Amino acid sequence: MKKMTGLLISILLLLTACGKQAPAPGVTDTEILIGNIQDLSGPMKELGAVLPAGSNLYFRHVNEQGGVHGRQIKMIVEDHQYNPQKAVTSAKKLIEKDQVFCLYHVIGTSPCEALRPLLAETGTPLIAPATQSGTMSDMSRPASDLIFHTDTGYDKQTRILVDHILSEDANAKIGVIYQDDDYGENVLKGAAEVEQATGTSIQKEAYQRGATDFAGQVGNLIKGGVNHVIIAGVVKEPIIVMKTAAAMGFSPQFYGTSPTMDHRVALAAGPAGEGFIAANFANLWNSDAPGAVEYRELCAKYEVPEAYMGMYHFYGFITAKVLVEGLERAGKNPTRKRLVNGLETLNKWDSGAFPPITYSSSDHAGTESVVLVQVKEGVQTVISDWVD
Amino acid sequence: MKDRYEDENLHWIPVLITLVILLPFVIQGLTYSYKYYLFVLNIAGIYIILTVGLDLLSGYTGLISLGHAAFLAIGAYSSAILVDQFGIPFFLSMIISPLIAGLFGLVFGFPALRITGMYLGLTTMGFGFIVKRLIIALREWTHGAGGLDVSYPVIFGYTIRTDWDNYYLIYFFAVLAIVAGRRIGKSKIGRAFMAIRDSEQAAEASSVNLAKYKMLAFFISGLFAGFAGVLFAHTNHFISTDHFDMLLSIYFIIMVLVGGVSSIYGAVLGTLFIVLLDNLFVPLLEDWIHVFFNTETGDIQSLIFGLVMFLFIIFQPMGLYGMWLKMRIYWKLFPFNPRKRFT
Amino acid sequence: MTELITGLLQESISGIALGCIYALIALGFTLIYKATEVVNFAQGELMMVGAYVNFFFVTTFISSAGEPTLWTFIVALAGSIIFALAFGWLLDLIINRPMKDEPIFSIIMATISLSIILRALVAIIAGPMSLLPISPFGEGVFSFGGIVISILDTFIIGSAVILVILFYYFFNKTRWGVAMQATSEDPIAAQLMGIPVNRVNSLVWIFSALVATISGILLAPKLSLLDTTMGFLGLKAFPAAVLGGFGSIAGAIVGGVIMGVIETISIGTLSFHYVWIKEINDIIVWIVLIAVLMIKPDGLFGVEKVKKV
Repeated sequence: MKKMTGLLISILLLLTACGKQAPAPGVTDTEILIGNIQDLSGPMKELGAVLPAGSNLYFRHVNEQGGVHGRQIKMIVEDHQYNPQKAVTSAKKLIEKDQVFCLYHVIGTSPCEALRPLLAETGTPLIAPATQSGTMSDMSRPASDLIFHTDTGYDKQTRILVDHILSEDANAKIGVIYQDDDYGENVLKGAAEVEQATGTSIQKEAYQRGATDFAGQVGNLIKGGVNHVIIAGVVKEPIIVMKTAAAMGFSPQFYGTSPTMDHRVALAAGPAGEGFIAANFANLWNSDAPGAVEYRELCAKYEVPEAYMGMYHFYGFITAKVLVEGLERAGKNPTRKRLVNGLETLNKWDSGAFPPITYSSSDHAGTESVVLVQVKEGVQTVISDWVD
Repeated sequence: MKDRYEDENLHWIPVLITLVILLPFVIQGLTYSYKYYLFVLNIAGIYIILTVGLDLLSGYTGLISLGHAAFLAIGAYSSAILVDQFGIPFFLSMIISPLIAGLFGLVFGFPALRITGMYLGLTTMGFGFIVKRLIIALREWTHGAGGLDVSYPVIFGYTIRTDWDNYYLIYFFAVLAIVAGRRIGKSKIGRAFMAIRDSEQAAEASSVNLAKYKMLAFFISGLFAGFAGVLFAHTNHFISTDHFDMLLSIYFIIMVLVGGVSSIYGAVLGTLFIVLLDNLFVPLLEDWIHVFFNTETGDIQSLIFGLVMFLFIIFQPMGLYGMWLKMRIYWKLFPFNPRKRFT
Repeated sequence: MTELITGLLQESISGIALGCIYALIALGFTLIYKATEVVNFAQGELMMVGAYVNFFFVTTFISSAGEPTLWTFIVALAGSIIFALAFGWLLDLIINRPMKDEPIFSIIMATISLSIILRALVAIIAGPMSLLPISPFGEGVFSFGGIVISILDTFIIGSAVILVILFYYFFNKTRWGVAMQATSEDPIAAQLMGIPVNRVNSLVWIFSALVATISGILLAPKLSLLDTTMGFLGLKAFPAAVLGGFGSIAGAIVGGVIMGVIETISIGTLSFHYVWIKEINDIIVWIVLIAVLMIKPDGLFGVEKVKKV
């Protein structure tokens, strides 16, 4: 009994400890509070460590320059373990208890989708959700006026990759290996669109999340006489697929969607991964793009550990630039409405890393194009301009 | 062994449960973050409806289900589709959707006529995966793996929209579910369930129709879970197959076990304990830890949750309910308590 | 026609290799279940811990002795095995001992929370980044008649077969093995007959940790990246263990291989010819499992227990 009473009292104390109403939520004279929900202990926890670190790198830089309109940016990170229900609970905590100004860079398609009702109810904007699902910028869905997507969707990426293949080789036989979930569904949507537009037919092979063996899928692609394969996987899958294909003496040209852009694909796949072409929604972190140069300078300045540096850390960095630009444009007395209006004034805005970003009240997709990156002698090399 | 609980007049348990549930009224004037507590409490309320049914199945009847999230999914998707795509009123869907889940319960229960123990647990786990697949395959209605938007429910012209509306809706039915669960547990049906759990052979010899009661247990359990699913869909407003994964089913079993098997109050207490621990105490505790240690990894939350669970099971294998019993007996016998009992 | 047969043969070979991984994990389940009737939900996590520990040894030796040689891997393997023995003993001490007289389900719950703890602890110690495992097997393949099998897969199949034979022999022919069987049948009677039940249980957990570590070492290079989600593979091995009949050593490998082959063939040839199979690729093993259990409720090799009132 005593323990229980103790627990009750501690709930009361914990809940009362944190309450003092601010005029606009999360904004004080000296600070802007941003909420971020990452997967810190679930299947994508690697990104959960790296993405916020990248964002914080830029926030630190901005804060040392005096902040946004004199206000320091502070980010609170919560954990959703890639579970949509926990994402909503975490968002509720951030919005109601911590009183954040907006949500930013929440990872995962289904967690972001699950937030829509809550965003609509509280009017909280979600800037740069960390998913490339094209459904995020679907303007017919709830809260779509509050979500600002920065990345080119998987459906568009697939369409661009297929168009690229057909422009190189008009008689190409194309195959897709996709993850059998919402990610794959978005890829298939793009594939269906391009099939209709060009009249080609694409062979589709599914795999389950966590699969370790791809002999079946690769065997089917061989039987189907495919010579160009798009892998819509994450990091492990392209490695295993390309190794399996090499072992089975099958050597098509491999392509990948943006999550396969990780530099470890080239590292782990070794000779089997040579020539692999990945589409990316932003410039390479080690390229000559102005954003990337700035990124590397700041990494050196703040002594970022080498293990963190890479595409995902950079991704956190460049989305932070978009957010800060939005906050700048929200003016001296920011409200959530002004942030939305501010972002909607972005017109072909160059972040130095993303393709030019354009938002309007009827379009929150941001970008439509990708850059193609090929592995040459084990090193990722940009082989194209923005393609759309 | 479990019946002993009922003999003790444990009115403290319902009082504690009521206190936790009524807490938002107390704290709403004190702090504006009561909304967060209210939200977590609403989740707990939905799960309470489910775990009461799961307790009747796994606790009373001894049939282990590791796929109960599937019933939640069936109830949720049925209701979302019925209301939003077929225009059926919400209160009718509250009757039809649980029945659909109950019918699936009969399908789940069918193997239970032959399969027992952990084998049954694994079979129900398999059913959980199969239902998930089924939902994705029916993409014409369910939008596949992408998830489904669900409308705000309307009861007699009143739209249920805010957290407080949800709270009243959920806890009205949660209390009903607790009362119903206790009634069933004490009725002839409940006694037949317990007879099956204790010994199938003895039950059969005492003319308990095994097949009938096992199926009934799955049906009732499906009803409860399906009902929870209806509330889940219409208070969450977005459902996807990711919401109902296998780990959630395991969490449900943990909730029932933490509370103490085969006592409805135990299941309710266990559900409140786990949901509040996982969604409220651990995140708040972690915030507090961050003040002192600047840790970068996010696994501290999982670690705390796992450790609390682990220590709890090691030191309180009888569950929360058992802990109460021990304390009561301790005070009854004070100061003449035999030492060994309380280690 | 020949294309179809080569395809099927290739898929069967890959399926057997995949199945042997399931078999190795299932063997871990089986050992504990056989002696204590506890289903160890942390088996996949034990495997993950084994893989991490081996990785740690390999990298430490490489950083101190330079280029990896065969000896590096053998010494690392020995180190991992010693760790596994200690780890299994410790698990018995903290889980099995204190909960000896508690309901089986409480122990199962303890293993579930153990799995949460192990995943979190490993991530905290090793850091959040995935690791690139270093393997002694390289990328080499054996090829005959258009069918290929990698050296790694051959090793996986070989180890699974050897371990199953060893344990089968141990359980049926040695004194300790028979003592274990007796303990699982009736712990109290076994105790009365002078069998040190505690030590037997401890041995079972040690064996199980050992098998888990070996499978972790073999599986890590196949996964191409090592992270804590490796533990979830334990859940994939469940149907295999149940199909063979929990508690049967021969059943573990037969169940594993059947499940592995069904999975690969359904993803491969079956999906190629019948598109609708794609919808059920990930549940086909569960459908097979439920169908088999309906006919044989204790699995293929399980022993039906006579129930008394």
